[in-house]
Amino acid sequence: MKAILMLEDGKGFSGEAISAGPEKIGEVVFNTAVVGYQEMLTTPANAGKILVFTYPLIGNYGCAPKFNESHAVWPCGLVIKEKSRIVSNWQATQSLDDFIKEHNLSTITKVDTRTLAVHLRQKSQIHMLGIISTSCFDAKELVAKIKDSRKVPQPSFLPGISVKKITTLKTSKPKAKKIAVLDLGVTKSILRQLEALGFFVTLLPYGTGTADIVRLKPLGLVISDGPEEDPGLQEVVQNIKPLIGVLPVLAISTGHQVLARALGGQVSRMHLGHRGVNYPVRDPLSWKGEITVQNHGHVVEAYSLQKIKEVKITARNSNDQTIEEIESRRLKFIGVQYYPASPGFDEVHPAFIRFANMINRSI
Amino acid sequence: MPKRKDIKKVLMIGSGPIVIGQGCEFDYSGSQACKALREEGYFTILVNSNPATIMTDPGLADVTYIEPLTVESLTKIIAKERPDAILPTLGGQTGLNLAFFLMKQGILKKYGVESIGAPVSAISCAEDRELFKKAMLEIGVDVPKSGIATSLAQGIKIGLGIGFPLILRPAYCLGGSGGATAYNKEELEKFLEKGLETSPVHQVLVEQSVLGWKEIEFEVMRDCADNVIMITSMENVDPMGVHTGDSIVVAPAQTLTAEEYNNFVNLSKRIIRRVGITGGGANIQFGQNPDNGHIVIIEVNPRLSRSSALASKATGFPIARVATKLAVGLTLPEVMNQITGKTTSFFEPTVDYCVFKICRFTFEKFPRAERVINTSMKAVGEAMSIGRNFKEALQKGIRSIEISRFGFGADGKDKITDQMLAQPSNGLLKSIKDKIRIPNDERLFYIRYALKAGVSIDEIYELSKIDRWFIDNMKQLVEFEDRVKEFRNKNIDCELRIPIPLLREAKADGFSDRQLAFMLNSKEEKVRQLGKDHAIKPVYKLVDTCAGEFSAKQPYFYSTQETQEEARPSNNKKVVILGGGPNRIGQGIEFDYCCCHASYALKEEGVESIMVNCNPETVSTDYDTSDRLYFEPLTLEDILNIIELEKPIGVIVQFGGQTPLNLAVSLRKSGVSILGTTADSIDIAEDRKRFQEMLHKLNLLQPANGTAFTFEEAKEVAKRIGYPVLVRPSYVLGGRAMEIVYEETLLERFIKEAAEVSGEHPVLIDKFLEDAIEVDVDLIGDGESFVIGGIMEHIEEAGIHSGDSAMALPTFSLSPAVLKQVRESTYKMAKELNVVGLMNVQYAIKDELVYVLEVNPRASRTVPFVSKAIGVPLAKLATKAMLGKKLKELGVTEEIIPKHVAVKESVFPFNRFPGVDIILGPEMKSTGEVMGIDEDFGRAYIKSQLAAGQRVPVKGNVFISVRDKDKRAVVFIAKKLQDMGFSIYASSGTAAALENNNIKVKVLPKIAEGRPNVLDLMKDGLIQMVINTPSGRIPREDEVKIRSHVVLYNVPYTTTISAAQATVNGIEMLIKKDLGVKSLQEYHRPAKKQKKKVKKGSLCQNFRKSKL
Repeated sequence: MKAILMLEDGKGFSGEAISAGPEKIGEVVFNTAVVGYQEMLTTPANAGKILVFTYPLIGNYGCAPKFNESHAVWPCGLVIKEKSRIVSNWQATQSLDDFIKEHNLSTITKVDTRTLAVHLRQKSQIHMLGIISTSCFDAKELVAKIKDSRKVPQPSFLPGISVKKITTLKTSKPKAKKIAVLDLGVTKSILRQLEALGFFVTLLPYGTGTADIVRLKPLGLVISDGPEEDPGLQEVVQNIKPLIGVLPVLAISTGHQVLARALGGQVSRMHLGHRGVNYPVRDPLSWKGEITVQNHGHVVEAYSLQKIKEVKITARNSNDQTIEEIESRRLKFIGVQYYPASPGFDEVHPAFIRFANMINRSI
Repeated sequence: MPKRKDIKKVLMIGSGPIVIGQGCEFDYSGSQACKALREEGYFTILVNSNPATIMTDPGLADVTYIEPLTVESLTKIIAKERPDAILPTLGGQTGLNLAFFLMKQGILKKYGVESIGAPVSAISCAEDRELFKKAMLEIGVDVPKSGIATSLAQGIKIGLGIGFPLILRPAYCLGGSGGATAYNKEELEKFLEKGLETSPVHQVLVEQSVLGWKEIEFEVMRDCADNVIMITSMENVDPMGVHTGDSIVVAPAQTLTAEEYNNFVNLSKRIIRRVGITGGGANIQFGQNPDNGHIVIIEVNPRLSRSSALASKATGFPIARVATKLAVGLTLPEVMNQITGKTTSFFEPTVDYCVFKICRFTFEKFPRAERVINTSMKAVGEAMSIGRNFKEALQKGIRSIEISRFGFGADGKDKITDQMLAQPSNGLLKSIKDKIRIPNDERLFYIRYALKAGVSIDEIYELSKIDRWFIDNMKQLVEFEDRVKEFRNKNIDCELRIPIPLLREAKADGFSDRQLAFMLNSKEEKVRQLGKDHAIKPVYKLVDTCAGEFSAKQPYFYSTQETQEEARPSNNKKVVILGGGPNRIGQGIEFDYCCCHASYALKEEGVESIMVNCNPETVSTDYDTSDRLYFEPLTLEDILNIIELEKPIGVIVQFGGQTPLNLAVSLRKSGVSILGTTADSIDIAEDRKRFQEMLHKLNLLQPANGTAFTFEEAKEVAKRIGYPVLVRPSYVLGGRAMEIVYEETLLERFIKEAAEVSGEHPVLIDKFLEDAIEVDVDLIGDGESFVIGGIMEHIEEAGIHSGDSAMALPTFSLSPAVLKQVRESTYKMAKELNVVGLMNVQYAIKDELVYVLEVNPRASRTVPFVSKAIGVPLAKLATKAMLGKKLKELGVTEEIIPKHVAVKESVFPFNRFPGVDIILGPEMKSTGEVMGIDEDFGRAYIKSQLAAGQRVPVKGNVFISVRDKDKRAVVFIAKKLQDMGFSIYASSGTAAALENNNIKVKVLPKIAEGRPNVLDLMKDGLIQMVINTPSGRIPREDEVKIRSHVVLYNVPYTTTISAAQATVNGIEMLIKKDLGVKSLQEYHRPAKKQKKKVKKGSLCQNFRKSKL
């Protein structure tokens, strides 16, 4: 079925839809990773986006429940070049096609995603919305629909993403240490790594108040990844402000931005954002760095942290020098802008180990 | 960290001649390394025996030695140059092994030389099977069950313990040579014996077979600050059981989940850290069970490899350059990414396309070899293609390897037609399935046949273990054919009826105009025109390392069907250079060398250079060789598309060998201007009749000849000109299907063979000039004046392909009268053809008469050799001549006859094709060349032999067995050997001739008649050299056995009398005085550049005469 992706600046990309569905409007962002489509689709941080994969061959290894990062699919649209006709991997239980249908994801295929990505890189507009349609192909009309959508304030995704009530996850380890995770859209892979370190986790709804968090007496607090510039985040910033210096905090991606704001820092939108698995970060004082997974369009402004004495910038992005890690030994927090993915084989990312050490020091 | 200051001088070892398993990828990596070292200010010393390389161009390194790659000559160079460090990781297995042996023998320590890039401990850990296995298990990486055998008995015990099938891998061997799969005890014994022989350290790994598992590779780099990055993953389409060098490979891996991918990355990091690479790259090969994901490590190459060249070209990441910088202590964040120009090398490239690598085989050259591929590499070259999907990349890849196929079948060249496949007989089905089950070079096409015949994806998977995803993509192409065929014309002249959207779809899946024309029963031009009429043309997308995330400063291009053109041609004056495509026997690195020089010349002249090539191993496809690079197949359609976009002032077809030359006429017809010698002159040289007319006009001699389409005609011609005759097809390179026929009874067979290769053109029949001396001449011209670059005298007599023959510059036995004639003839023809650029002529000299055999109005394979011997870059100057410069302006005024002697020797792949006879003939068989250079012929010749891997003896036993014709000549040789203290063994016939001349001979029985025979002696290491000339076209059984054992045991050998003479003379020199080393810069130092017009006698000039 014929379909179109129309950008707000009037540039259209034709393709094919898997099935007819309502028109979807969202920010168009591209990710340059070659594998991991199912993980990206189920990552809550991508809520509301129209996600473009620059790698042209998608769906080759199918889908399986074990690769879900959460219980749902979050982007409002998916844009790809070529969808695999068959599935070929011993773990696959389902094709990407069926997965898309099951989750009712608006998908447009056979799109020249290369041209689209280059266009997004060169765009004049920083926050580029787009619309996927299978019924209307008139550019003017589609652009008008996008403009109209801007007039309506965006609702928060957090109520849908976050746990509804304080939830303690089961643990197989009897003597595990208790920590709390403020769920702004936490992924399973983060939780798996915390468990692997011997923590047992209590998930907190995003709006959990300061007092409620303190009452739980966790050894540390993780502020998770999640959608950026969500209207619900302001409340989170206020809630965690009093906890700084009280509890050891590990803040991840959007959580890191929340932490920076709580510290008095500023967050701003990047021209293109970092979305992929090949971003180099390193401490400017050292030659040793690390290649990281990233998925963000906002960044903490370095100048805004300069006046805050306690904050040490421990890593920057090697390409554009944006802030990747902040830390304070005295106030006991670590903030990472990148996504601390497991290095493979259920091993744990060093950021979590540093956090665990921080907790051990503070006990 | 800043680069090391404690190092000033760095020694680099090249990889020597091109052989199977070690191709021109190491010229690419070595050249990049030289540039990188000099960029950082290090004094660079380079050693390589291969003259046909860019890296040995004076100017790339500070000091360049073309010397044999042996411990002896390296030791001398180290003693002379006193480098602080050695960089062994860029010269392939040869370079690595040499460094290792230098370390073992204490030479590095003695002279205080440090191994950088990979410390010696890392080399041992990766190369020593036992250490490797231990190290891997230590870090939790599984290895296939295995044991190391150092003896036959031990190997059998290990093998029986593990169970069949078993893989055998000899240690320290390049390209898996000697590797094999054993299915039973007999095979185990057979292969073990061979493997123990092949391995320089007599170690064979006996390993559990993981046949049919997925083969996944990762290219990894690590710096001294412990930063580790993945360059790319690669997935072999042919699963485990086929050497990765022979496999079809895609990048990135297509069938791994994100979790699996991460696990591979995790293992790769652990491995590179454990092996201990502290500044460089490694290639890691894994096997993965497709049914449960279980991963085992197969091997680690702690150096630049063929795969790293591919990974580099596939992603745009210059691995060799970066590895070199890391080796001198820089870290990844300090090295800029030159493709983007704004990011550093500390990142992981990502792609938004599919890369396809496919190999070029030359089984047709070795008819007695089994046409199967396995764990011992057999491919001689490869091509890489890029598409936005697998189907497009696949079809472009098949076009790129130049096997006269224009895509995945459906091009009118399928051996099994669609009609036969519509209702296949059981016999046909069985033979198709066999061809899928047993890997071979045509397997892809048989998969297509099977799909056409209705065999299911699952069944093809069970037969081949090729992942279903790849098979399904192939099936999509097969299904697409049917959609196209609905619009097939009844009559070839009808208008095309294919709907435009379908045509567009076909192009997006990589179908060529040729395929579409065949399926639609139309003509290529018509399909092209239809596309043009509807604006269906490819756009060019970038290889930019980052999937479009950053703008690219120095990207390269590939064609695809998408919506936006990204190549954005400039308005500069520009020239397109057509490259040589995949390496093959007859067309190799020599031509790439010339193409690179064309590019350098264009740059120097301020003309934009645009390279078109598809060979990922080459320097010409390096991102910074030309201003722009198109990674495309070299077919008319693909080239015209580029030309229409770029609009160059002209195209250079002279340098890429026969591939672009064959396109010259069609390009001209399409209105493309050909730079240099005109297409018409090219045609005169290639068209037999016109060529003959020219020779008549110039009053030049040619062997009597004729042409024939049938056997009857051929018989007539042969009768007229008299036997022996030379039979060959038209328009081929490397003497394909060329034969010398001595009698009518054998004529029929060879005519048939030649006619098949020749196609619509006639078969050529020449009078064969027995015992003539062959001469090669290279010339440069500007259309008005012409200068000979070099006259080379072949060591072997006429009848052996010039690409296989050893040759010397200057000549050593030709009379001044003959040389005068050669020069005059050459200049006459150059003038007649108005040569602008390069020309090569081959002559045969018999009874002081000079016969013209062949004229090629293009760069020949000897151009780099001549350039290095005389110290003048011929190809570069020729390019400038093509742009309109006069030779005078370029300073080329007269022939340079060097004081020193340079000998070119060929290197053969016989060890890869067990059972193939090693005799030389008119069909070219060599894969590469080496150069020996010294003050006199004897030394230069011996150096060439050492460089070619012959372990030339100075004492011991020599076995001689020659045909009757050579018995007189061999007496002199044997006498000399005896005088030098060698003992002579001979077959009974030869022994009689020698004894009659008072030479002491030990007679050995015929192989079937008694023992110990010569095979036993060779096995026991009692024969140090073999001189054996073939008795005729159908050799005797004993001869073949002797010759194949010579290869097996690596005993120095010669199969011609002339080569035997040269060798014996060389040995004489060697005994008198040890060989020295001297750099090219010393040979060509301007102060000493005294041109000699008349050649003085070299020490060996009399040896031809001594033959009588």
